[in-house]
Amino acid sequence: MAEKLEDLNLPMTVVTRIVKESLPEGVAISKEARTGLAKAASVFVLYVTSAATNIVKNNKRKALTGQDVLEAMKDIEFDRFVEPLTEALEHYKQAVAARKSGAGKKKEDVEDVEMVEDE
Amino acid sequence: MSFTKAEKDLHLPLSRVKTIMKSSPEVDAVGPEPLYLVTKVTELFVIDLAKRAYKNTKGNMLEYKHIAEVVQEDDTLDFLREIMPRKITVRQYKELMARKAARGDRSDDESSEESSEGESSEESSSGVEIIE
Repeated sequence: MAEKLEDLNLPMTVVTRIVKESLPEGVAISKEARTGLAKAASVFVLYVTSAATNIVKNNKRKALTGQDVLEAMKDIEFDRFVEPLTEALEHYKQAVAARKSGAGKKKEDVEDVEMVEDE
Repeated sequence: MSFTKAEKDLHLPLSRVKTIMKSSPEVDAVGPEPLYLVTKVTELFVIDLAKRAYKNTKGNMLEYKHIAEVVQEDDTLDFLREIMPRKITVRQYKELMARKAARGDRSDDESSEESSEGESSEESSSGVEIIE
């Protein structure tokens, strides 16, 4: 459990920024809508987590994996996110691999490596 | 330039997402890969929700009601219904109930709403929060 209650909410400023970037320019978002979106995102984290841990439990495993998160999307009928998420996972794995083969850095240390993206 | 490209693509703070995930009693450890994915999908989710809500707007202002509308209409968003009820005034509520009754109550909800006419401000199984 988190020490403070606000630790269980995603920061509204960041959520608002993400949303603004995805909407046409000049769209205003009311205060209540911002709060609502941030709350929704925070609850979504828990919702996905719980769906993924269900998969872990059902398979009598302990550790939560990336694959569990992907599987969970289907269980909660968010199949539309599976594809972009699979792609993101690929990128992520490449980035991690690049990092590891880099200067033999510690796992947590993500500095200096930039993944090259061909677009 | 201190993150890999993949991680830089994220906007939400990983540490906060991790804290939220760990607040679930069934989670003790969260590895970097599931954490990355949950963070990523949460961003996809909130963008998706906002874009759909935006379709409900007429002008250039995204308001709470537009989001609540999406939540109430999409069954996969059922998990948000408690925290994002439709907010209406008592008068609107009564009108809504009257309309429902006139339609003959499509019986997909429990009939509990019907009985609440008089002292109705309590609410609700229909995803509505009444503003006094």
